[in-house]
Amino acid sequence: MNSHSLIVRNGSFMLFGVVFGFLLSRAGATDPALISGLLLLENFHLLWVIATAIGVGAVLNLLAKYFHWRNLSNGDLISFPHKPFVRALVPGALLFGTGWGLTGVCPGTAPAMLGEGQWFVGVILIGIVMGTWLVGFLHHIRLKHTQSHPS
Amino acid sequence: MTTSIFSGFPNLPLFPADLWPAWVAGAAIGGFAFAQRWLTDQPLGCSAAFGNVCARAGSRLPLFQGEAHSRATDWKIWFLVGIFLGGLFASVSIDTWAAPTHWGPLYEALMPQTTLGRILWWLFGGVLIGMGARMAGGCTSGHTINGVAMGSPASIVASLLFFAAALGTAQLAQFLLKLSGRLA
Repeated sequence: MNSHSLIVRNGSFMLFGVVFGFLLSRAGATDPALISGLLLLENFHLLWVIATAIGVGAVLNLLAKYFHWRNLSNGDLISFPHKPFVRALVPGALLFGTGWGLTGVCPGTAPAMLGEGQWFVGVILIGIVMGTWLVGFLHHIRLKHTQSHPS
Repeated sequence: MTTSIFSGFPNLPLFPADLWPAWVAGAAIGGFAFAQRWLTDQPLGCSAAFGNVCARAGSRLPLFQGEAHSRATDWKIWFLVGIFLGGLFASVSIDTWAAPTHWGPLYEALMPQTTLGRILWWLFGGVLIGMGARMAGGCTSGHTINGVAMGSPASIVASLLFFAAALGTAQLAQFLLKLSGRLA
């Protein structure tokens, strides 16, 4: 990919991000009080947001699959790559849920919250980078261990 | 409480006030996620970008090398930059910053009271979120909004566990805080 198309690509994803961040904000997903309201089963606003988003997405995905819609980027059929069932998925999902429940913040809403003026999320973003790096570090240690002790 | 971006304006009641109805915001998010897929053939996702951040910051760890975090995928970082600008636009367009203290009673009672304590608390929460998302291969956008709408089994399991753990954590926190009298 040449540098010109790379700039176009990065720029268009930045614009997608602007739309997504704005929508997350208007949806109330960037409001920790609404998140705790959902988790304490006191306010179901965000449940309906998530349910509608999944429902609309599912209908559009099914239409695209059955009517063979093509993507506008290279004209191929739209792809639906499923994420793999990795072994770390269960402990990972539980750790993620715990962090989400303790702070009311997730990786997608964090930058939008910072943009809205919720400065404390800057600290959480640093924590997310540290946590991501830690998984890479533990993965590296395990690789070294398996190489020195082949089973 | 909210503060006006442009001084001279009284405090406009902005944050929960400018909340869209749940079905409008949800439909817009679902439609947006599909539009991104249709235009670029790339599924929605947020947390993989933090692996790119590690790689660009100079980490040589093998997990952050290779295709998934190569420079060709740095649009993931630009997507997050866009989300930041989107949040900024959401506040500027209604002329009010979101209150940086809009935590609600649960988090208000749960967080340490000192600034240093809170910084460590947020770092700890962030580490859990970052580790969990990387291990699970996605977060609430990649697994829940994107994966569940495709009917992907791994994403359905991950999303159920996200919600179960978050629900359990919040409920347990509320129970303990009430027991110790720190939450009414």
